[in-house]
Amino acid sequence: MADVMEKFFEPKSVCVIGASSTPGKPGNVVVKNMRDAGYKGKVYLVNPRGGKIEGFKVYKSIEELPDNIDQAVVTLPATHTPETVRQLGAKGIKAIVLAASGFSEVDQVGEALQEELIAAIRESGVRVLGPNTTGHVSVPSSYTSSFFPLGEIPRGSVSYITQTGNFCGISLRHIMSAENFGIARSCGLGNKADLDECDLLEFYGADKETKSIFLYLESIKNPKRFLRVARRVSQDTPVFLLKGGASDAGAAAAVAHTGSLAADGRVVDGAIEQAGVTRLRKYSHLFQVAKALDAQSLPRGNRVSFLSPSGAFTVCLTDICRSLDLEVPDLEDKTCKRLQKFAPPFIRMRNPVDIFGSVGLVGYEKAYGDALDAVLADRNIDAVVVIMMLTTETGVPKMDFIVDLSKKYPSKPVYVTFMGEHKHNVAAKENLEPKGIPCYMLVEEPFEVLSLLASCRKKMPKR
Amino acid sequence: MASRTERIIKAARSNGQKTLSEYDSKRVLSAYGVPVSREVLVSSQSEAKAAVKKVKYPVVLKACSADEAHKTEKGLIAVNLASQSALIAAFKTLTKRAGKNYEGAFLVQEMVSGSREIMIGMHRDPSFGPAVMFGLGGIFTEILQDVTFRVAPLRKKDAREMLRSIRGHKILDAVRGMPAADLDILCHSLMAVGQVALDHPEIEEIDINPLIIRGSKAVAVDALIVLSDDEADGTSS
Repeated sequence: MADVMEKFFEPKSVCVIGASSTPGKPGNVVVKNMRDAGYKGKVYLVNPRGGKIEGFKVYKSIEELPDNIDQAVVTLPATHTPETVRQLGAKGIKAIVLAASGFSEVDQVGEALQEELIAAIRESGVRVLGPNTTGHVSVPSSYTSSFFPLGEIPRGSVSYITQTGNFCGISLRHIMSAENFGIARSCGLGNKADLDECDLLEFYGADKETKSIFLYLESIKNPKRFLRVARRVSQDTPVFLLKGGASDAGAAAAVAHTGSLAADGRVVDGAIEQAGVTRLRKYSHLFQVAKALDAQSLPRGNRVSFLSPSGAFTVCLTDICRSLDLEVPDLEDKTCKRLQKFAPPFIRMRNPVDIFGSVGLVGYEKAYGDALDAVLADRNIDAVVVIMMLTTETGVPKMDFIVDLSKKYPSKPVYVTFMGEHKHNVAAKENLEPKGIPCYMLVEEPFEVLSLLASCRKKMPKR
Repeated sequence: MASRTERIIKAARSNGQKTLSEYDSKRVLSAYGVPVSREVLVSSQSEAKAAVKKVKYPVVLKACSADEAHKTEKGLIAVNLASQSALIAAFKTLTKRAGKNYEGAFLVQEMVSGSREIMIGMHRDPSFGPAVMFGLGGIFTEILQDVTFRVAPLRKKDAREMLRSIRGHKILDAVRGMPAADLDILCHSLMAVGQVALDHPEIEEIDINPLIIRGSKAVAVDALIVLSDDEADGTSS
């Protein structure tokens, strides 16, 4: 199994069945995507018309291809796929990505076709990703089978398993253009005719490129295996899951109460909890949390401090922390004394840190910098959120001190959020994120992320 | 343990029962270590009178048959019977209410007092298999639906987490002069219910409702085991 997964994620050679010279067609975009991703392996194209596409020689049939190709990406229509799978199997190709839609997701005819496809897969001894998938991405190999235009994808440590093509498509484009973090692997599961979330989870769990795993699932194909695999993988690797759709399990039984109470996905909820997987409830957390983990470590616990330029934030964000199971604990005495040094005497410095007065007295960098150093050094604190106030009139400081201090305390996450002039916020985010400081445009977001990370940390006793 | 349970199930099946009686349900659960109320199955006034040698006053008298799952609604329970005369009077009343065609027996049961009622259950999920439930019991079960599930087999850790993960988990703490509930007993009972389901695929569902926390220790006061429709259904993946 590990061998064939390597053929999916680290292919030395790949063929595209149904390659096309027409721009915008999946059979064309996928070839361009491989090139744009910087894929260094051999690429073979197949189209009965022959000729050349995107500078590659085109073979007229699968039989004509050379032997020992690691992977095939098939962009032919659904009806052609069972036969194509058999041909590829006969050619000795073990890893196949099927892009076509028109199977069980559509109608009964498609369902029958999928059954036919499954039979072809079993008989050929191949492994298949899809059908109805956008494809997958493997950045360490500069490889993608996606037919959504992607370009060069930044390398990182986050890996996705999603029952949607979004994380090899539009959501990946969002990550690439707005969130400034990198990924390792990403896989759109499609209809899961063969490979499912468990196969991918098992592979990612043993993958040295993957440091955290994010799943989006609408169904779990093999629930018992999922529980077993997830329980094992989540011991060492943070695993997060957004489960879409209400469960259809738990049909109400008339006789006992337990049966009727098993509705509303309660059994799935319990199983996910048992599996050591951290549940996400918001789609955006699939990248907001991922960004934090790609840049920085998992916090040791749920005790946060934050630097705030507004009294309102110290009050209402403390409320929010409480609702998110985050503690805003008292600081050590020496920390309070240090904070007080730069503060006006009428402000009593404590957690959360009201930084406005200090900024007025000693300036931005000195006030924020010294306070951040102080709270990061505090033994009662696991993570710090810095709320920046940026406007043209009040000034926009250099923010490298945040980067430096974050490096000084590698076990304590430091996130930045903003309130002020949008263009400065955006610029600060663009500046800080590539340097390893996750930034969040809305003030609640970094706390939501920390709450999820603290809950994840709690499930990992070995760490 | 397993064979005794199998005998009980087999007898119920050959009787055409869809459920085990309260008495049999508890015998099964008790064999796996779930603490149940002390009780004696009786079918006559004289047996009832004799039962109080084992079960001390005050007692509860209940109709006990495989068909009587909702005893309270039908008025087939008399509680807090403190004397022989009260017990006999209750026996007459319940016999009358149960009707001429009633073929079941009666349970003389110790009166378990405690103001905290919880529930343990099992539902055979079509995907995950046996799932154990924990939640608030008695009348609050349906009103608040404050319950949580875990898939069997349960580790001790799973059971511990279940106890903390209902909204009303503080009911198990030391509250209003009551001692904290003995969590080991509850954990053991949760794990045991999962094990019953794993050992006996022909059991479809289990309700233990309520368990009353007497002092610090939970005791199953009522229980219901539902059998699957298909006798051969021992495979539900």
